Amino acid sequence: MRQGESVLQRRISLGEMLDGESFTEVVKGFVELYRVGIKVFDDKGAKLADIKINNGDFCGYVFSFPEGRRRCTATVGRVKDGPVATTHGARLPVLESDLVPQARGMVTVPCFTGLRYLIMPILWEGDTMGRVVFGPFTPEDLVDFPPRSLTEVTDAFDVGNAKTLVEKVRRAPESTIARIMLHFGQLMQTMLFAGQKMFLTSQLHIEATLEQNRELEERNRKLEDMNTRLKELDRLKSAFLATVSHELRTPLTSIIGYSEMLAEGLAGTLNDEQVDYVRTIMEKGETLLKLISSILDISQIEAGKVRLNFEPMDAIELVTSSVSSLKPQAHKKGVVLEARVPSRVAQVNGDRDRLRQVIVNLLANAVKFTPKAGRVTVTLSEVGHQPDLNAQGYRIIVEDSGVGIPADQFDKIFHSFYQVDSSSTREYGGAGLGLAIVKSFVEGHGGVVRVASEMGHGSRFTLILPVVPSLQPQVQITPPVTALQAPVDDRF
Amino acid sequence: MQLNHAQRELTVKIVYYGPGLSGKTTNLQMVHQRTASDVRGRLLTVETHDDRTLFFDLLPVFFSTANGFKVKVKLFTVPGQVIHNATRRIVLQGADAVAFIADSRRSMGPDNNAYWKNLLENMRENGLDPAQVPVVIQYNKRDLPDAKTDAEIEETRKKGKEPVVGAIAIRGVGVLETLHAVLQVGYRAIDARAGLTKNIGLTEREFLGQVFANIDTTGTELEKAFPPRKVEAK
Repeated sequence: MRQGESVLQRRISLGEMLDGESFTEVVKGFVELYRVGIKVFDDKGAKLADIKINNGDFCGYVFSFPEGRRRCTATVGRVKDGPVATTHGARLPVLESDLVPQARGMVTVPCFTGLRYLIMPILWEGDTMGRVVFGPFTPEDLVDFPPRSLTEVTDAFDVGNAKTLVEKVRRAPESTIARIMLHFGQLMQTMLFAGQKMFLTSQLHIEATLEQNRELEERNRKLEDMNTRLKELDRLKSAFLATVSHELRTPLTSIIGYSEMLAEGLAGTLNDEQVDYVRTIMEKGETLLKLISSILDISQIEAGKVRLNFEPMDAIELVTSSVSSLKPQAHKKGVVLEARVPSRVAQVNGDRDRLRQVIVNLLANAVKFTPKAGRVTVTLSEVGHQPDLNAQGYRIIVEDSGVGIPADQFDKIFHSFYQVDSSSTREYGGAGLGLAIVKSFVEGHGGVVRVASEMGHGSRFTLILPVVPSLQPQVQITPPVTALQAPVDDRF
Repeated sequence: MQLNHAQRELTVKIVYYGPGLSGKTTNLQMVHQRTASDVRGRLLTVETHDDRTLFFDLLPVFFSTANGFKVKVKLFTVPGQVIHNATRRIVLQGADAVAFIADSRRSMGPDNNAYWKNLLENMRENGLDPAQVPVVIQYNKRDLPDAKTDAEIEETRKKGKEPVVGAIAIRGVGVLETLHAVLQVGYRAIDARAGLTKNIGLTEREFLGQVFANIDTTGTELEKAFPPRKVEAK
């Protein structure tokens, strides 16, 4: 969940909208140009600017008398904190008619000295954000100076001195000061707009950055959690598979063993039909055993338990022995199986048993997917530079004239449990583990597997293996393809 | 919605949401142009050099009710670009109603859907219940060649409960109609929650009337219901 409320959700103050220093500069310029003091307060009475000009001597003189001080303080209080309305001694300003509509809200507060103040509310989007005070100034219409309200503050009042001092205060018609004030108000609106924009955007920039940060942290935490959970699940799954495979294998071995004994007549002679049945039980048992072994391999690879054992080995022997183990199957299906090997191949390193399993898996697939009278060949190259590995290496190519693999499935077929045709009515059996094992063993040697195929014409698997395995002999597996997320109903 | 009884002030927040370049800012610009300057603030926009909204746009419209309540309607847009999701979520905070600006072009269907989902997600992230925050859909850019037909849009309308408005925002078509629809559903949602009629005496009729009395409805479907006032909008 987000932290705190956005700046967009609250009212911002005048102080936040104005840049203090530059605003003071502007006010100062205004005061010097028009020679009238300006004060700006926000709606809580906080002072945002206070620039005086030329009235200091006169006001200071009045302020020097106790009663003068009292009356002065009252007037300043009225101007600063009193309502911006025609009450508490304030009245509407005397204006030229063209100013009246614009000057709505402006009031005049007379000072007991005969001087005057003008007050204007600062309106922003319908709210009163504060006030501007202009003055004191000497109104043009002030004729009988000093008024009684000033002279009565003390018996010692020096009229001559007061007249000299008040001369320094700007004298102007109320309407002129109002006009200047309106001009100041317009300028302030522009400054407020610019200030608000700057304030909101800078705040929002900060908020967005914090929010992004929060989002990332949350995502990281979720990913970490998920990773931990997945690792645990994965470990459990592998352990489960290993146990189950083992538990399945034990009774299956007995089934096969006893069938074999039956077929060989150890428990008495069987007739031909019985022998046939028993052999079928044996064959199917063997198939099942192979499948279980594959599952065990995968689960061990997944559990990181498989370590390859690299030793010098004979590549020609590797290929020919693999071929001979598949000969019976090929023969039975009526598929021609042949090995093409060079007369001599330099010695190579590898895990012979695992590589044999790789070739056998590929050959078994090739035979399985090649129809009667088809052809499966396995070719061993000589040792040479392999650009794919950027090292010395050799190739083993298993080709068939079978059904082929669609090009968009080339990657997926190497994922565990993946099958091109996974329908329940599919023609070919298998668990979809053979190629996953192939890939992980070949990559465990620092090699690569390439696949090429044309639908209806056959497939070619090329193993490119280094003479000296380059990787740590730790085998990894490509995880199964996860189903895409179920689509949610679209609104549009 | 923020209802301040002490200051007698009601703030309503409307957010224009939708994919990038679907016309959210254009909607606000058109509303701004048509609204009398004494009842609205300036249009605050922060754009990048290529006219993309960077943070948000904001147009405040305000009035006082017959009962002396101050009402502020704040119209916001969110930035449409994918990368600004955090900003979108912040701007969406506390929204009373949403105008979803969709691009009518067929090619933009996936974008509309993605941002619709993004809207619902961000509402939830902000603690808003999508079932409680009303949304109005505007099908903008009706004039473009690849635009969906009226029949197709009718199909979309039937898929949900949101009112659907056709628009060509750049020419002002459908903009005020969208604003009216979103303010109406927004008012109703707030009224149901906070009892505006009962507690502050603000009826739907007055709420919409006060806003549209100061908007130039000439040439729109609202012209009859809210005849344009004689004073010219500046």
